Amino acid sequence: MTNWKKIILVLVLIGVVTGGIMIYRTFTKPHRDVTTEKAVSISAQAIFDAFKTDEAAANKLYLDKAIQLSGEVLDISTNQEGKTVVNFKTNDPLFVINCTFKTNPGTLKPGDTINFKGICTGYIPDANVVINEGVLVEL
Amino acid sequence: MKKIISVSIGLMLIFGTINAQKVYSTRNGKISFIAPNDEDVKAVNNEVTSRLSDNGAMSFSCLIKGFKFGYAEMQDHFNTEYLQSNTYPRADFKGTITNLKEVVFTKNGTYKATVKGDLTLHGVTKNITVNGTITVKDGKMTAIASFPIIMKDFKIDASSVTEKVKAEINCIYQ
Repeated sequence: MTNWKKIILVLVLIGVVTGGIMIYRTFTKPHRDVTTEKAVSISAQAIFDAFKTDEAAANKLYLDKAIQLSGEVLDISTNQEGKTVVNFKTNDPLFVINCTFKTNPGTLKPGDTINFKGICTGYIPDANVVINEGVLVEL
Repeated sequence: MKKIISVSIGLMLIFGTINAQKVYSTRNGKISFIAPNDEDVKAVNNEVTSRLSDNGAMSFSCLIKGFKFGYAEMQDHFNTEYLQSNTYPRADFKGTITNLKEVVFTKNGTYKATVKGDLTLHGVTKNITVNGTITVKDGKMTAIASFPIIMKDFKIDASSVTEKVKAEINCIYQ
């Protein structure tokens, strides 16, 4: 076998292996597990204030971050996929912190104050700050 | 005198009803999308804020980071490479129902609705028209629609994956 044929063979092999690893990673990389992440602790009111005052600055601090939120439950519902959704009160009656739980937070009622961890996906003006992947934290 | 009072109250009630526009809303509507030629490329967002008013106004807002993929690696690529969700965290649509006369908010039924408005995605705003249905059931509204999103219309370079996706909306309003 000539040298250049060897070189091509090696290059093709490298390509196939790299491609294989990339495909393998695409289909096997685990989703984020917020329970193992260090979270930023904040109250429902404080995260609302931060976004309302300066959305861009708040995005830098909280967007895509693990958040440990404490807040007073306003209402509890279920989304179209059967996951529990809890809205937390702020001092603005039209504005809530909207939190979708990954694991069932158990029996909650309006007025309860709870602590949980989740991932902040951002801010929708005049409506809510959104947190998903919520998991209850026992204090 | 009594007559005048009761007539005035009657008039106030009538005009009050006419003026009061009713707004239906949700914070947990659903928008999903799928690539037509690769069904692994699909994601769903269950945290869509939407408002529907009986005067025909309709709005949708959703956070790009709220789209969940079956595969975590795809979700990362989608956020960092294709949608740049740190720079453009939200997609917004504001529009109006163009055939409002055909949608009866006070009567149970499923009505065809055409909604025209501006979709802002990846920092690009484009006027779109979407055909869907609004179902009225005992005062509860459900809006369903399906429409294509062409990547290059919104300056999204995902050509290695897909040129377009099919988006589906399913929002239940309170």
